[in-house]
Amino acid sequence: MRSKIEKIYMGIIFVFMYAPILTLIILSFNTSKSRARWGGFTFQWYINLVNDNSVLNAMANTLIIAMVSTVFATVIGTLTCVGLMGLRRRSRTVIMGITNIPMINADIVTGISLMLLFKVLRFETGFITVLLAHITFNIPYVMLSVMPRMKTINPNTYEAALDLGAEPFYAFRKSVLPDLMPSIIAGALMAFTMSIDDFIITYFTKGSGFDTISTKIYNEVKRGIQPEIYALSSIIFIAVLVLLFASARMRQRQAAQRKDVALYKVEKRISKGKAAVIAVASLGVILLAMYFGGVFTRKNNQLFVYNAGEYIDPEVIEMFEAETGIEVVYDEFETLEIMYAKMVQNDGAYDVICPSDYMIEKMMNAGMLRELDLNMIPNRKYIGKQYMESARSFDPNNSYSVPYCWGTVGILYNKNMVKEPVTSWDILWDEKYSGEILMQDSIRDAFMVALARNGYSINTKDPAELEVAAEDLVKQKPLVQAYVIDQARDKMIGGEAALAVIYSGEVIYTQRENPDLAYSIPDEGSNVWIDAWVVTRKARNPEAAMKWINFLCRPDIALMNFDFITYSTPNEAAREMIEEEDIRNSEVAFPDESILDRCETYFYLGEDGDALYNEMWKKVKSGK
Amino acid sequence: MTDKKTSRLLTSPYIAWAVIFILVPLAMLFYYGLTDVNGGLTLDNIRAIAEPVHLRALLLAVVLSVVSTIICFLLAYPLGMILAKHKLSSQGLITTLFILPMWMNFLLRTLAWMTLLENRGVINGILDFLHLPEINIINTPGAIVLGMVYNFLPFMILPIYNSLSSIDDNVINAARDLGADAWQTFFKITLPLSVPGIISGVTMVFIPALTTFAISTMLGGSKILLIGNVIEQEFTLTYDWNLGAGLSIVLMVFIVVNMVISAMSEGDDSSERRNVKRFFSHTSGSDAGSGKDER
Repeated sequence: MRSKIEKIYMGIIFVFMYAPILTLIILSFNTSKSRARWGGFTFQWYINLVNDNSVLNAMANTLIIAMVSTVFATVIGTLTCVGLMGLRRRSRTVIMGITNIPMINADIVTGISLMLLFKVLRFETGFITVLLAHITFNIPYVMLSVMPRMKTINPNTYEAALDLGAEPFYAFRKSVLPDLMPSIIAGALMAFTMSIDDFIITYFTKGSGFDTISTKIYNEVKRGIQPEIYALSSIIFIAVLVLLFASARMRQRQAAQRKDVALYKVEKRISKGKAAVIAVASLGVILLAMYFGGVFTRKNNQLFVYNAGEYIDPEVIEMFEAETGIEVVYDEFETLEIMYAKMVQNDGAYDVICPSDYMIEKMMNAGMLRELDLNMIPNRKYIGKQYMESARSFDPNNSYSVPYCWGTVGILYNKNMVKEPVTSWDILWDEKYSGEILMQDSIRDAFMVALARNGYSINTKDPAELEVAAEDLVKQKPLVQAYVIDQARDKMIGGEAALAVIYSGEVIYTQRENPDLAYSIPDEGSNVWIDAWVVTRKARNPEAAMKWINFLCRPDIALMNFDFITYSTPNEAAREMIEEEDIRNSEVAFPDESILDRCETYFYLGEDGDALYNEMWKKVKSGK
Repeated sequence: MTDKKTSRLLTSPYIAWAVIFILVPLAMLFYYGLTDVNGGLTLDNIRAIAEPVHLRALLLAVVLSVVSTIICFLLAYPLGMILAKHKLSSQGLITTLFILPMWMNFLLRTLAWMTLLENRGVINGILDFLHLPEINIINTPGAIVLGMVYNFLPFMILPIYNSLSSIDDNVINAARDLGADAWQTFFKITLPLSVPGIISGVTMVFIPALTTFAISTMLGGSKILLIGNVIEQEFTLTYDWNLGAGLSIVLMVFIVVNMVISAMSEGDDSSERRNVKRFFSHTSGSDAGSGKDER
């Protein structure tokens, strides 16, 4: 009876632990890219994975970092624990206290503080800095696992061994180490796991062009995960599971052999052989990882590109590399603010970036950008005149940026759930739709909605007007299901919500997946935005950057990108080449003048303006 | 056990490491936290915790993480006992199985919970199929607690299991022989002997739960701001490193509290408990212990 209850209890916890993983595995076979919909069974994502160099790269980096840092951390951590026993209690407490710091601190604080250190030491962030950071946060896991065991170990045996004439190391190996071994292994396992699992610290210490699997995932989580990641996770998971069962089998067989005393020596040799196998396998993985991984970064003739997530057709990158012989190191940012933070940390990390209007202005003011060499970008002539004109609002001479995509902000709604016409932002305050509304989790867009609703300029710096907008947003909060960025896409496709504030570029894609969706730009007006390519002032390869921009302006390339990302292209020649007429003349992708007349672009508001918005936003977020 | 010289030799590499990679970066953090943008000394960044926005975020984080830690403990302790009791050859396997989920990236697992919990997600689909009432916990504090418990439960299981499995069976048997019933044995022997593991476990769950921001962002729909979110935003969004550093310094109060607690438990170590162990180790103690582990 009792053991039955125990089994049931373990079973329940098991289900709890594994239900999400099962979900991920099922999703890896889902034809639909959306999490919320089952589109049929496919192996496509597994096949894609084989050809996806960036994912394999990130995986290799993750493994090598995890293995190397675990070995270092385990050795250092265990030695320290043993050494600590001989120290006075006070120094022991102090050292354990220091050890607790990286564990106890918010990962982000550890990450940032290490980032500051590397900056002062002028380390180039990349593989080495991530490795150092991982060793640093892994040591405490080993020590916290070994230390409780160390304390329960009885010193008498060790002392007895010494009394009987054993060398200290021999005595330690024979009397203490076997007792410690389970906790050392547990600690090493923990360290390895933590290293694989870590995201935040890696994120702040990684530098450009170097990704582990978790930073890669983070870039994609909010944007909508590539199903290849699910496939990869499933493979890792199954591989680990198989290894685990295999080693358990081996252990069982050994246990059976152990009963036979005569086989004792054979068994020892087996365990030595096993150790050799493990060592060789580890070495193999490390070598493979070094081959595939970005351990040795920054070669000549490389171009470091920093773009928003899923904002280019990956084939375009390959074509550029093939045509120019330049190797592209491609990174994605999640929001413009994160991109900016990264640039402040290291303004030479990237050569060419694709921010939005107000952020370009901010970067220009901060002196981060370089004037374009227009002779090298003849294809700029394909960009429509009106877009160049709009771009003057942030780049007065059109000398720093070349428009890449543009669009509006509006309301995406589900026609089955919203029966009335959507003409005003007020519908987002309608209690009928409580819990069915998705707001943008970005400061400017959220405030834009509230400001436009009240008839204020979306670039206002008037504290009184902002106060009204902030109050509106607080009032709206109970009705809001969630503040999201790109998850809005998946949630709307899945029918999770009735209304969402969204960028027009997502509309064509979401409508393809769910025909019940419709888009509207409210009468009060909205934001029209332009994303444009800029070259950084400290770019190490500005020439390649100009070539990159020129390449993207080529009509056939712009068309490829449009087909892939469905964000409106300012490239007139590309637009004419769009085959489907309803898309070429789509009201959503290419709204006419009457709609654009009521839309405004964002301006950079200056440091004071930014601070004011930030403060108000925090109030909204923490308000009831 | 080891003499002073060896001890120093063994610990010095780590001490050097800790100074360079833990203390120096921390000093930089303090520098940022105690200065303003122009480098002038100020306490404003620390005092900022008293602002209602920050205080509310801190309190909510404390409440949610305490609740998660308690739930983790209540779930993990019986599990640790079950695992420690069955000293089968498969014990390593079972323990590993509880750690294994962490090999899937934690962002991915949290994403999977979103899929499960969503209003039209997998769980509600199943409930609907069974004609049961739907649950709507996504984007509530409840979902965040669930995410915390899910992500940090292994941190509680492992140390508790470790310290429970290192308890000598003979201690327990002796207590039973001397007439203690199951409850007495548990409260007088098992529980006190597992305190180091419990403290490790609580540290490993409470602190990451307190400072998380990814879980609250994903399962709270960005509607619920914890102190971790505030600090994260200071660094990545509003770009006020000084304020972010200042608020982090406030969080470090919890380190101090933790240090005091573990120091206290170490003081505990020297009393009654150690005498009990000494006594038993003479009769059968560590030899049986080391033999057990090789199996």
